[in-house]
Amino acid sequence: MRIIIAGAGEVGTHVAKMMCNANHDVILIDDNEERLRQIDAHFDLMTIVGSVSSIEDLKQANVSSCDLFIAVPPYEELSIMSAILAKKLGAKVTIARINNYEYLLPENKEFFKQLGVDELIYPEQLAAKEIRTSLKRVGIRQQIDFSDGKLILYGVKIRDNAPIVNKTLAEVAEMHDQKLYNTVAINREGYTIIPRGNETFRHNDLAYFITTPEGAKQVMEDSGKEQFDVKNVMILGGSRIGKKVAQRLEGYYNVKLIEIDRDKSTRLADTLESTLVINGDGRNLELLKDEGIKKMDAFVAVTANSEVNILACQLAKKMGVRKTVAEVENMDYIDLAENIGIGTLINKKLIAASYIYRYTVKARVSHVKCLTSSEAEVLEFVASEGSKITKGRLSELKLPKDVNVGGVIRSGQAIIVTGNTQIIPNDKVVVFAMPSGIRKIEKMFS
Amino acid sequence: MLNVRVVLLVMGLLLVVEGVFMLLSALVAAGYGEYDMPYFLQSALICIATGGVLWLANHKAPKSIGKREGYVIVTMVWLVFSFFGLLPFYLSKAIPSFTDAFFETMSGFTTTGSSILNDIEALPHGILFWRSIIQWLGGMGIIVLSLAILPVLGVGGMQLFMAEVPGPVPDKLHPRIADTAKRLWGIYVVYTAVETILLWGGGMTLFDAVCHSFTTMATGGYSTKQASVAFYDSAFIQYVIIVFMFVAGANFTLSYSAFMGRFKRIYKDEEFKYYLGFVLLVSALVAVVLYVSGDVDTVERAIRDSLFQVVSLITTTGYATADYLVWFPTLSIVMFMLMFVGGSAGSTGGGIKVMRIVILLKNAYFELKRLIHPNAVIPVRFNSKAVSSQVVTNVLAFIVIYMLIVGVSMIIMSVMGYNLDTSIGAVATCIGNIGPGLGEVGPAVNFAHVPDFGKWFLSFLMLIGRLEIFTVVLLFSPYFWKN
Repeated sequence: MRIIIAGAGEVGTHVAKMMCNANHDVILIDDNEERLRQIDAHFDLMTIVGSVSSIEDLKQANVSSCDLFIAVPPYEELSIMSAILAKKLGAKVTIARINNYEYLLPENKEFFKQLGVDELIYPEQLAAKEIRTSLKRVGIRQQIDFSDGKLILYGVKIRDNAPIVNKTLAEVAEMHDQKLYNTVAINREGYTIIPRGNETFRHNDLAYFITTPEGAKQVMEDSGKEQFDVKNVMILGGSRIGKKVAQRLEGYYNVKLIEIDRDKSTRLADTLESTLVINGDGRNLELLKDEGIKKMDAFVAVTANSEVNILACQLAKKMGVRKTVAEVENMDYIDLAENIGIGTLINKKLIAASYIYRYTVKARVSHVKCLTSSEAEVLEFVASEGSKITKGRLSELKLPKDVNVGGVIRSGQAIIVTGNTQIIPNDKVVVFAMPSGIRKIEKMFS
Repeated sequence: MLNVRVVLLVMGLLLVVEGVFMLLSALVAAGYGEYDMPYFLQSALICIATGGVLWLANHKAPKSIGKREGYVIVTMVWLVFSFFGLLPFYLSKAIPSFTDAFFETMSGFTTTGSSILNDIEALPHGILFWRSIIQWLGGMGIIVLSLAILPVLGVGGMQLFMAEVPGPVPDKLHPRIADTAKRLWGIYVVYTAVETILLWGGGMTLFDAVCHSFTTMATGGYSTKQASVAFYDSAFIQYVIIVFMFVAGANFTLSYSAFMGRFKRIYKDEEFKYYLGFVLLVSALVAVVLYVSGDVDTVERAIRDSLFQVVSLITTTGYATADYLVWFPTLSIVMFMLMFVGGSAGSTGGGIKVMRIVILLKNAYFELKRLIHPNAVIPVRFNSKAVSSQVVTNVLAFIVIYMLIVGVSMIIMSVMGYNLDTSIGAVATCIGNIGPGLGEVGPAVNFAHVPDFGKWFLSFLMLIGRLEIFTVVLLFSPYFWKN
């Protein structure tokens, strides 16, 4: 697939790398030659120095023959303009990044389509949504819902206190009469393992389970996580994500938002309804104590600075906050932050990238999600009529080694798969795949 | 640290490829039923066995090719290919001396075309074919070929590509490096095929047509005849070769544009304009002087000889249809200066490259302007875009190091007892990958009389020239080996 990415910012660069690794033909346009040279030297893609809104430059990138045009320049106006031009010049599908919620409203979708922008992405909005989901259940590193939560993927840190620790997957399966969850992957010391029955759970493993809402309780029990309801939330940083999160949470939780900039605080206080906006430095322990950090159930650090977010979360944990969420934009810190025990990590780039990724998969895919702490991806495929995956029980099919099938949604009913499960056409199948396995499994579904 | 295992892995893979091309030559030798056939089989066996062992022993190596590995791989590949490529010459006793065989092979792969052979026609066809095919492989580049045919090199391919392809900033024809390499080789093969048909139709035997096409497109200059292209006293053949030498010395990206029907790109290309203009201007001057001085008798002959020699030298092919050393003295000097110009960036030609010279001259000219307007911002523009100061610095450094190497090498040659003409001619022709030099290594003579040390030294210069200096010289710099 030929993909043009306009704008080599954080999201653009990350998407470009990802698409390159997935063997797509990638052309990256940006007006900053320096930045492009860096990427060009390390990745197998073509770079073009030019303006993303120049017809001449877009033509030079051969936009008429591209299958997917992704506009992620720094400004929303530029992004929409660029996508419109690309569409008119012959790009098949265009995606533009925006940061205005209005544009996403369903009634405006058709309007943008007519203009030539097929899809809009709003990374901050997606990030806020993810934070909200993560607060619903504590003790969880990452949670992804499929088909309105009928199937759920949980990423859980296994500690010494978990009943399943030092047991193999097969032994764990024998603990219960009914199979309520599937272990699809284990992330150990930075490497992702697709586990088989003889794999043992170890202390400090980040295990990924696929389960149904009914099975969630068992997952929590087996991994030794105590449940409690979140009531009080403190948000650090009134960034776009911070604001979005506050808006989404304020009806359900008691929300306090700390912002260092006075003008920004005033504006936030104006837009947010019941959130208490506090002007001050969130790194100041006295201030945090004054604002009752000890009574908080959750602490969400979403300032523009990844280091501050990680440290503030550490501080909050020390003060007894049980759930911490940190926005970490620096990819190299993710592993580190994961290891020092920050509850949930949010990365805008990964979120946007996984959203875009869906458009590059040929088989019918209804959902794609990249995991924050692992290079793997979780995809929800729709099994096509006559596709290879429907040709027998899972244990009889030769599934790629780097892929694990977790669950199936068949006419609204969630099923946790076993080797005996047979997939029938139109099933929605949740698959956990390493990057090397995506192409292989994709073929089985189309 | 340097990832040695991946270097060995790539060497192994490529040696197998070299072995396959030896088998191809064995087929030719078998076809003519000559004595060299078993030697090709032996050489191929050695290559494939060594390569196979290296490959299997390292196939689990981490496939990360960084900058260091890129430079080491590219330099090593050319050395290893030359050492293994000399086997057919050496084993078959076609070239009994090991030094001579290495010189001939390195001169082949680097598309220099300087030879130590005194009686080329006496050699069997297989050997002549191998001599041509090594130039053909070296022309577009061993690494570019391997990127096109071996998907293993996908990771880090860009590092290798940049280290091998000539020119300050290599162009890509396709987002993916493997596809770029495939397109480049595709064009190369098409041109070679077309030229073969034309030469064959023009009266060459099919064998000679194939060999000459190989060495024209590579801007190599090995001929199957002792007298080089002068052997063929056919205006048609000579004009065909002129055209294809010219095309091979132009940027292959432009050929690709032409194949895709985008001709606008060609006449807008600044380097091409200078390249074409320069060739026409110098040829016209030479033709006039040749005719007026009475070196040749007809106008057509003057035009053809001057065009042929000028194109042959500027593209660094090095075929000869006339001995420019017996021309009017001014012309010999002009010819000598052409040796430094070289082809275009992204061509199969050697030398400094037209683009670098244009950037150098423009920068020098603007320097005058900068003296008068010290605060003015005057960028060097190329292809109507400002060239970043990094590229300009790189170009200047390139030319300085190039000239420095030429200077030092001249002294080394003179120590061996050669006079100024021969020393500078031999050095300029080897580092520029041309073929014939001046004096005792001029177009009418060859390198057989150079002492062994001189041959090794000149072979090294050829490698430095083909890989455009930095790739090789970097390996000798302390920065490269420091962690």
